[in-house]
Amino acid sequence: MSWFNSLWRAGWTILSGITITVQAPAAAEIQLTHDGVVKTDPVFVDRTGQELVYVVNDIPTRMRLMKLRLSDQTISPVHPDETRAEFEPCYSNDGRLAAFVQSRGNLSLALVVQETSGMKESSAVLGSGFAGLRAPSFSPDGTRVVYSFPESGRQMIWSCNIEVNDRRMLIDSVGTNNWPSWSPDGKRLLFASSRDDDFEIYTANADGTQPQRLTQSPKQDIRPRWSPDGKRIAFTSNRDGNYEIYVIEADGSQPRRITNHAERDDYAVWHPDGKRLVVVSERRGKHDLYLIDMP
Amino acid sequence: MLNLGNFRAATCSGISRRAFVQLGASVPAVLGVAGLPSTVEAALKGRARSVIFVWLWGAPSHLDTFDPKPDAPSDVRGPFAAIETRTPGLRFTELLPRLASCSDLYSVIRSHVTFAPGHPDAGTWGLTGFAENPAPAHPNFGSIVARHRGSRGSLPPFVMVGRGIPRDVVRIVEGWGGGRLGGSVDPFMISCSAEGHAEIPSLKLLDDLTPTRLADRRQLLDTLDVAQRKLDGTAAALGDADWSQNFRRAYGLLTQPAARDAFDLSRESESTREQYGFTGFGQSCLLARRLVETGVPYVQVNWSEYVEAMTPNCDFGWDTHIYNFELLQDRHCPIFDRAMSTLLADLKQRGLLDSTLVVAMGEFGRTPKISNRAARDHWPNCYSSLWAGAGVAGGRVIGASDAQARAPVTNPITPVMVGATIAEFAGMDTQARAEMNVLPGGTVIHELV
Repeated sequence: MSWFNSLWRAGWTILSGITITVQAPAAAEIQLTHDGVVKTDPVFVDRTGQELVYVVNDIPTRMRLMKLRLSDQTISPVHPDETRAEFEPCYSNDGRLAAFVQSRGNLSLALVVQETSGMKESSAVLGSGFAGLRAPSFSPDGTRVVYSFPESGRQMIWSCNIEVNDRRMLIDSVGTNNWPSWSPDGKRLLFASSRDDDFEIYTANADGTQPQRLTQSPKQDIRPRWSPDGKRIAFTSNRDGNYEIYVIEADGSQPRRITNHAERDDYAVWHPDGKRLVVVSERRGKHDLYLIDMP
Repeated sequence: MLNLGNFRAATCSGISRRAFVQLGASVPAVLGVAGLPSTVEAALKGRARSVIFVWLWGAPSHLDTFDPKPDAPSDVRGPFAAIETRTPGLRFTELLPRLASCSDLYSVIRSHVTFAPGHPDAGTWGLTGFAENPAPAHPNFGSIVARHRGSRGSLPPFVMVGRGIPRDVVRIVEGWGGGRLGGSVDPFMISCSAEGHAEIPSLKLLDDLTPTRLADRRQLLDTLDVAQRKLDGTAAALGDADWSQNFRRAYGLLTQPAARDAFDLSRESESTREQYGFTGFGQSCLLARRLVETGVPYVQVNWSEYVEAMTPNCDFGWDTHIYNFELLQDRHCPIFDRAMSTLLADLKQRGLLDSTLVVAMGEFGRTPKISNRAARDHWPNCYSSLWAGAGVAGGRVIGASDAQARAPVTNPITPVMVGATIAEFAGMDTQARAEMNVLPGGTVIHELV
C-alpha cells in the first residue's frame, strides 16, 4: 500500500535532540471493516485473537460496542438492546470479564464490569456532577481494573476491584494522566501523562510509584499499549506532523514509525500473537479497522 | 443522496421509493420575498452574495484552538503545543494543522465577549446579538438576511443544516429563528448524515408516491393537505398564509430538479466528498457550499452530532466539561480542521470565496484555568472566531486577549457587532437595518476588511 514504503527509509525525527525515529519497512495489511463510519477503541476479546470489539458511532448521539469475528469479518452489536452510549471496552485475559464506560446521563459516565456470560454485572458512577472515568483496563489476573479519573484539577490513575469498589489512587500529578494498563506480568504500569506539558509515555511500578518517562517528543504521544510479551509498546503520536502509530521497546528505546499515511492512524492494539496490530485508519475521509503485520 | 422525511427519495442513484408527501407539523416557515430586486443586487457588489455561518454549538475552548497561551502556567495552557501558521506571528494549537496552513484565507478575532454564561441564553446572544428576553426573541442573523434578500427560485433564503434547533438538555435556543420578524423567515431545517444523505425532516412521505410523480397528483395532495391542516394544531397556529407558503416551499423542493439537486451530495465527486470527511459536520459543510453555489443567501451549519455522545440523545457539541483535552484531540478538532479548511479551499477554488462570507464561532469560550474535572467550563468573557471571504482580509488577527485569555485587552467584540457586520456584508447598511428595526446599536467590525 502507498502508505508504507517498500524499503527502510530513514525518518530522522529530532526529538528533543536525543531520539531518532526510523520508518519501518513495508507491511501487509487486511482491511477489517468497510463502512467508513467513525470508530474507535478496538480490543481483542481474548488471547485466541478470533474476535475483537470496537466502538462505532452507529447513530449521531450514540457510541456502540460492536464485535467483529476476524475469520469471516462478521459484525454484530455486543449489546443489541442497549440504548446508552458505551465505549472504551476492555477484556480480561481469559475473556471472562468485560469492562467499559457507559453513559448514565448528562456528562455522567459509569464504569461497568460484567461477566461476558451475562450472569453478573457491577457498575458505579464515579464522582458527582459532570464526571466520569476513561480508559479502563484489567490487571493480568483479572481481579482489578485500572482507569483514569479527574479530580481537584488533575486527572489521576486509579484502580478498583471488579465490583467497582476498593478504589485506590495510583498516579497523581499535575496535568492529565490517561490510558493506563498493567504490563502482562503485572509488574509495571503504563500510561500517558501531560505532567511535562504535552502528552508523553511513562511507566511506573505497578502501584504507581517511581514513574519513568519513556518518550521525548515535542508533540503528543498517547494511547500506549503493551505488546503481549511486555517487551514493546505501541502508541499514537503526531511527532511527525500527523497522527501515526509508533512502537518502542519497553525501556523507551528504538522508536519506529509503523504507519505512514496522509490521514490519521490511531487506536493501535496488539494482536495476541504479538506480530500484528489492529489500528483505526482514516483513509479518504473514512474510518476503518486494519490488521497490519508488524514489520 | 437526498432523503425526504423518513424515506430515501428518487435520486440520481436510481432509488425510487413509493411515497407521498405530507407536510409535517414542525415545518418551519421558510419563505421570503421572491426574486431579488436590482437595487439590492447593486448594493451587494463587492460584498457577500451568500453567508455561511458555522455555529460551533457547545462553545469551543479558545485556548486549545485559535488563541493558545504557551507561556501561561500549566493549569491554564493545557497540553497542546502552539504551532506556526502560514501567517507570520500567528499561532494556533497543534490541533488545527490544516487551518494553520491556510491562514492566509481568513482573519481570526480573539476579543469576543458575550453576556450570558449558559448555553441557551448565550446561544440567543450569539445568533441574534441580544438577550432572549423579552420575548419574542430578536431574529437570527440569518432571518434578517433572509428578510432583506429574499429567496431565489424555489430554494429558501435561510437554510439551517443540523439536527434540529440547537438546544441543551433543558431547552432550545430561543433565538434560533425569525423571532420578532415572524415565522416566515425561520430557517428551513435540513440534516445531513455522515454518509452525506441530506434529510428534510419536516417532509413526511407516505408510502405511495415518488417526488417525480408528485406533479401529476398535486390535486390529490392539496386535498390531503387540507385534511392534514385540520388535524394539525401547529399548522393552524401558523395561519393560512404561512401554511400555504410552507407547502409551496416544500412542494417546490421536491418537484423542482434544481432545488432537489442542491441538496443531493451524490452529485459531488467522491474526491470532493472525502476531502470534507465522511462525518456529519464535514458533509454538512459540503452541503452548505452547494447551497451557496445555487444562490442561497444564508446557510447556518450547526455543529451538532457525534460530538458529545457521552450525553445521551443530546447535541452538546463542544461542551467539554469533562475530558476536554482528549475530546478535542480525538474528535472535535480533527473533524473541524479537516472540514473547515476544505470548505475554505473549495470555495476559493470554485471562485466562490470572494462572494461568500464564512464565519465560524460558538456562543462563548471556555475557562482559562483548568477545572476541577481537569477540563474547561463555560467562559463568556473571552473567545475567538474565524472570518473569511467576501473581502475579509486574510492572515489578520483582530483584537487580543490577555496573557491567560481571560479577557480582551482590546475593544471587545460583542454579539450585536457580529450581527451588524454580517448584515453589512450581506448588503444591509445602517439605514436598511434601521428600517427593518433590527440590530440596533450594532457597529461593524471594520478591521475585517
